[in-house]
Amino acid sequence: MTEKVPSTARLLVRNFAGNLTGMFGLLVIFLIITSAIFAEEISGYNPNLMDGMSTSLSPSTDHLMGTDQLGRDVFSRVLYGGRNSILIGITASFLGNLIGTVLGAIAGYLGGKIDTVLIRISELFMTFPQLVLVLIFVTIMGQGVNNVIIIFALTGWMTTLRLVRSEFLSLREEAFVEADRAFGFSKKRIIFRHLLPNTMSPIVVAFTINIAIYIIAEAGLSFLGLGVPVTTPTWGNLLSAAQAPVVVEQYWWLWVFPAVAIIAFVTGVNFVGDGLRDVLDPRQRTNAKNKTFAATLREKLFGSRKQTIE
Amino acid sequence: MIPMALAISAIIFFASRLSPIDPLNSLISPDAAADATNLAILKERLGFNDPIFVQYFNWLIEIFRGNFGYSIQSGQPISEILALRMPATLELVLAALIISTTLSLLIGLVAGANRGGLTDKFSRVLAAIGISVPDFFIGLALLNIFAYRVSLLPTGQRISPGQVTFIDRLPHLILPVATLSIAMLAVLIRYTRNSVLDTINRDFVKTARSKGLPEWKVMWSHVFRNSLGPVMVLIAFRLPLLVGGAVLVEAVFQWPGIGKTIVEAVTVSDYPVIMVVSLLIAVAILFASFLVDIVKSILDPRVRLGATIE
Repeated sequence: MTEKVPSTARLLVRNFAGNLTGMFGLLVIFLIITSAIFAEEISGYNPNLMDGMSTSLSPSTDHLMGTDQLGRDVFSRVLYGGRNSILIGITASFLGNLIGTVLGAIAGYLGGKIDTVLIRISELFMTFPQLVLVLIFVTIMGQGVNNVIIIFALTGWMTTLRLVRSEFLSLREEAFVEADRAFGFSKKRIIFRHLLPNTMSPIVVAFTINIAIYIIAEAGLSFLGLGVPVTTPTWGNLLSAAQAPVVVEQYWWLWVFPAVAIIAFVTGVNFVGDGLRDVLDPRQRTNAKNKTFAATLREKLFGSRKQTIE
Repeated sequence: MIPMALAISAIIFFASRLSPIDPLNSLISPDAAADATNLAILKERLGFNDPIFVQYFNWLIEIFRGNFGYSIQSGQPISEILALRMPATLELVLAALIISTTLSLLIGLVAGANRGGLTDKFSRVLAAIGISVPDFFIGLALLNIFAYRVSLLPTGQRISPGQVTFIDRLPHLILPVATLSIAMLAVLIRYTRNSVLDTINRDFVKTARSKGLPEWKVMWSHVFRNSLGPVMVLIAFRLPLLVGGAVLVEAVFQWPGIGKTIVEAVTVSDYPVIMVVSLLIAVAILFASFLVDIVKSILDPRVRLGATIE
């Protein structure tokens, strides 16, 4: 027993590093975020600078992704838009998960009437298709970056609540919780210090996957012209240029590049989410270290023949 | 189901009153609004001074009597708007539902039965696309290719001027239906495939095989039938689209359906329309979940009431 046992966190990091699709996703995310941060340096243009001499140019070495009808550089706008879209995705996912986690913890641990009421409310919210629910909230609260974040959080906490609640339901019967209660710990302490850390894995996975969902949702909402005001570039706002038939017909670079950015980022996030699930969920923990990257990717895309049931 | 519908109707009604925008303002001209006595008289006459619960019950009773109210924007009765827009949505969603269901059941079954085969790989790629590509981008791409580059199909709308018959309208349907079908296919195929895989490993399939049944018969009457259950649930929850319309796809193709009605109503804060449409959607969803229970009991003999042994 003299051998040094690595900490759980370090083990997780090491396992994730061995998960090649996860690492690939992380790399994609990292690249996109870094280039969004250094948007101006990388593209060499101010995203809001209008140049009457070069409007609606197709992609060239000067303007990698062309320019829009006002002569603004599309590449720089895609990078800037990424800042806002990613920010919205991450913040909304964090807030939504926070609401879901807290309510789920309360519902799962306390049970009884509070549980019933919370579950009923979540069912009520889940009745509506998400986009319709979001649209109803938009009518009530109005548009804007902050409102979009709040609306996404308010309409996206239900799955996390159910997730955390069911984890809590099984955890609260465990011996260590019984011991906690015997020690006379307060409910708050048991819930937040002892139970919650044990439910972190599914929460982290849900957080990651939700970022992808919200980024796509923002794109849809802004495409309809009901999300973030056009003055703030986001991937969705850039795509909304395609509401004009002439843009769909002639200026393909105005909507293809923002979409490609979304697809790349969302794919990256989903890969990371899957990787985290593999690493964090002990039931699925496999040894992925010995596989080549191609093999792992192939498996992710096409499935392995060895697994029996997914 | 009925208490849930009532609860939703109450939430929709009270939420609409939470909004900072006074619905009265959009009903009268600014001149009339400047006159305080006019405003007061109007408020009284329209029932805005009644207690809010009375207002709610009045609204609900009117809905039950088939009087959905009037659009603030156009002054048209909402029932008239619905009658005008509903056929377009039904046409679009029904066609897409039929196509995507048929295709996904077929592909999903083949993919699940020949795990790792070509169809399986194809279905995996399709699922990966379905998760990370926004569906309206698929629509834009199809539009660009088939309507603009190759002028094969119309660029949007439901009817071209001067065309009346259904055959005339058919080309208009192709692209929106294709977009919606592709968007729905991805998830459905994956779901069917996993459901088939799940069933294939069950004991009763092994029994059927060891009885010496031909493989196609095992597949058809044992595997396929038993894996339909979960898939049917997913399909049943698509049915409310028939009422709610496909918001984004309708926006891309200028399709005059319910989805477009919602977006138009949200854009101008047309409360009465939003309230009625979201109530309809909610009721449709509740009805769908009721349907799910029935379908389940038909497909699963264990749930069937009063089943006789065949």
